[in-house]
Amino acid sequence: MKPTFSCEWLHSCAGCEMSLIDLGEALLPLLERMEIVHFPLLMDNKYTHWAGEGGEPELPAADLGLVSGGVANEEQVAVLRALRRSCQTLIALGTCATHGGIPALANEQPQTVIRAAVFADCGPVPLQTPSCLERVYAVDELVQPDLCLPGCPPRPEAIEAAIIAVLDGELPAMFGKSVCETCPTRREGRAATRIARRFLENADGEPNEELAQMRCLLEQGFLCMGPMTAGGCGGSGAPLCVRVRMPCRGCYGPVRPGGNPLLDMMNGLAGQGVDRRSVVDRRSLLRFCGAHVLIRPTPRSR
Amino acid sequence: MAQVVTINAVTRIEGHARIRIRLDDSGTVDDARVEITALRGFEQFVVGRPAEEIPRIVSRICGICPWMHHLAAARAIDGCFGVEPPRAGRLLRELCLVLAHIPDKILHFFFLAAPDFVLGADCDYRVRNVIGLARQEPELAARVARMRRLGQDMLARLGGKAVHPVAGVVGGFSRPLGRDERRELLVDAARLLDFGLFALDFARERVLDQCAAADQPGQVTTGFLGTVDEQGCLRLASGRLRLMRPDGTVREFAAEDYGHHLRELSEPWSLAKTVYAESWGEGFSLDPIAPRGVYRVNTLARLNVCDCIGTPRAQAELQEFRARFGRPAQATLLHHWARLIELVYASERVAELLADDRILDRDVRTPAVPRAGRGVGHVEAPRGTLIHDYETDGRGCITRANLIVGTTHNVAAMNLSVRDAASRLICHGACDETILNRIEMALRAYDP
Amino acid sequence: MSREMRIIAFCCNWCSYSAADLAGISRMHYPASVRIIRVMCSGMVHPEMVVHALDRGADGVMIIGCHLGECHYIRGNEIALARAEVIEETLEDLGYEPERFQLVWVSSAESERLVEAFRQMNDRLVRLSEAAELHPAAADTGATP
Repeated sequence: MKPTFSCEWLHSCAGCEMSLIDLGEALLPLLERMEIVHFPLLMDNKYTHWAGEGGEPELPAADLGLVSGGVANEEQVAVLRALRRSCQTLIALGTCATHGGIPALANEQPQTVIRAAVFADCGPVPLQTPSCLERVYAVDELVQPDLCLPGCPPRPEAIEAAIIAVLDGELPAMFGKSVCETCPTRREGRAATRIARRFLENADGEPNEELAQMRCLLEQGFLCMGPMTAGGCGGSGAPLCVRVRMPCRGCYGPVRPGGNPLLDMMNGLAGQGVDRRSVVDRRSLLRFCGAHVLIRPTPRSR
Repeated sequence: MAQVVTINAVTRIEGHARIRIRLDDSGTVDDARVEITALRGFEQFVVGRPAEEIPRIVSRICGICPWMHHLAAARAIDGCFGVEPPRAGRLLRELCLVLAHIPDKILHFFFLAAPDFVLGADCDYRVRNVIGLARQEPELAARVARMRRLGQDMLARLGGKAVHPVAGVVGGFSRPLGRDERRELLVDAARLLDFGLFALDFARERVLDQCAAADQPGQVTTGFLGTVDEQGCLRLASGRLRLMRPDGTVREFAAEDYGHHLRELSEPWSLAKTVYAESWGEGFSLDPIAPRGVYRVNTLARLNVCDCIGTPRAQAELQEFRARFGRPAQATLLHHWARLIELVYASERVAELLADDRILDRDVRTPAVPRAGRGVGHVEAPRGTLIHDYETDGRGCITRANLIVGTTHNVAAMNLSVRDAASRLICHGACDETILNRIEMALRAYDP
Repeated sequence: MSREMRIIAFCCNWCSYSAADLAGISRMHYPASVRIIRVMCSGMVHPEMVVHALDRGADGVMIIGCHLGECHYIRGNEIALARAEVIEETLEDLGYEPERFQLVWVSSAESERLVEAFRQMNDRLVRLSEAAELHPAAADTGATP
């Protein structure tokens, strides 16, 4: 009998599922190895006997489950717990599931404040909808996943490798190093400017030359999050954003488990003698990892 | 006794929604609603951020159409900072936008919608999906998966990442296109066009007759909104908005003025706002017999509002479509047909843009200076007209944001369609899995 | 009545730790809220250690090093100074009042100065927590799972 497979999305954008489908032709043999029992994007299994109020949703038992997205309302909590109960091995897929991701930027304010502000100009806040949690959570704050696979989105090949490893009874090895590990740009060991440049003009250097000819974007003065960020986005090749001469924004989350990219970046800038006041919006440095209470309301907004 | 039937969750759509159908004592449909159950608050949490970072943040609104949000935001921030991208920058942005429509349409038609038609709406739900389709038609499935990947790969070559792109920047594009890269892209674009024509032929043979049925569930009569250029031709990148009444009369306006024509309001059961055409002066009503202020966006709407399409093969298809269904065409399932005509247009337009030598120009970005201002960026996303509206302060940080995404325009019409489908299909309170799936099909056509 | 404060004080081995020792030998009184952690130099206290202490429930954190120019390792306290500026600014980003952190210079002979710094920090934190009790955060912020 084929192993069974469940895939669920929570507070997310479907980008992780797109990345899975981006496997292209390789997707079909991969899905052939398994029997899909639950996958709202691709097939019609419903939360049987559960209408979203009271009780608990039921999901079919699966050998492997993927879950993307963070958790922001009570319905998502119920679905996540049901998924954990039903899955032998559960993979938290993508940065929203592992670190909160972009939607966790909302954690700078209480959820009720956000709802009130969004509906301020167009009538009352809808109340017949699932009640929100007070902030956006990562999956591992509520249940224990067996593997965290960050990335916004994770590479198709990394998702494939993880699924195959689990089917073969293993857990895949993670990259474990920072984005800079595979970045070919030229480093001179010191910053070229004393101020942090905003990305209002393109990076210095001849755009038609090899990437190896371009100076490190961080040294050029752009806030490239590469040193703080888990690598592997480009496989063994150059990081994806750097390939089009854009600085890293940290979408794989901190390279050190529990790391705080805001502190690391500011500490690093202070060490290089870069004027910290030239960083316009420091809190955006936490834009992919706002769960785990890393982003919380400021004393002023409380 | 009154009864409530819930479809939770609606599946094979690109987001989170459920349908709730209320039946009265005699088992007749009393009301039906589409409930959108997630709210992430982008409009709120982008406030205070440096505007040049916004295109890389709002792409995360949707992982299926990240390019549309990315580029609509880039266009809006151009407006805030008062910069106009050089021609090559504009061409590269349009190329990416139009190209991004291709994998999206392939995904929606073949992965999500086709199982209902090719395998049948009453087929067992465990088989009625893309895997079941792949088992029945392995060669077709392999080609579809390969072509979708090709489109995504081309986007990744142009913009670094296919999902959550980064190369659209305030003032233009992050790097110029090389001559060799262009040569390879042209070869691939020709393959996509072949596939687009094949897909339309395949659908004509196997699917589209079902979409054209006169008494299909989900019927509504509404107005339409889409984008056209100065000649009235279909546009996907920025152009003028054209709002059509149900009787076919049209009115054009610039995207900046959307607030004079469209109005947003909230309903207690949905976290997506509802939008209606305020400028028609008839108010808003979801009365199933005589709805007021309701219009639709998405593929069918775009083909209804445009006078013609600027590429030859798509134009021929449009003429045939119009000869058969009139203008405006109202049948909800015709969205699928219109989607495939747009697939042909997008493939032709990609080749056209790549063939233009001006796209190779090395000047792709106008440097910007942060300042206070307002900018409205608008594009046609696969799901419909997408509007991003921002204001900045003197430091160039966001002070206000308003976003109207494609599905939001369609919320009112989706509710009407689902209600119509439910009323037609549920008799004396009897409903089964097949009937519920047919109701979902009325919603799926909108690709929400 | 406010609860007892908890203050983590990172004291440099070569100055403030000796000053604290001297304060003890001299039987000087200072608030019981202070918990001293000996470090070899104020320059080795990474900002993350400060945030970690606050995350784990400390009310305030102090870094106490040698006067500028008197560092045992020549320039360690200059690094501490640069970092302190970063800490003060980023604490608010991370959801804490900047008053919860303080950098102080104390030589090994200045036990009175050290005790005074402890007292002032304690008083400041008591005032801060009293103000928070007077103006509690909005009650309805959403559910907890």
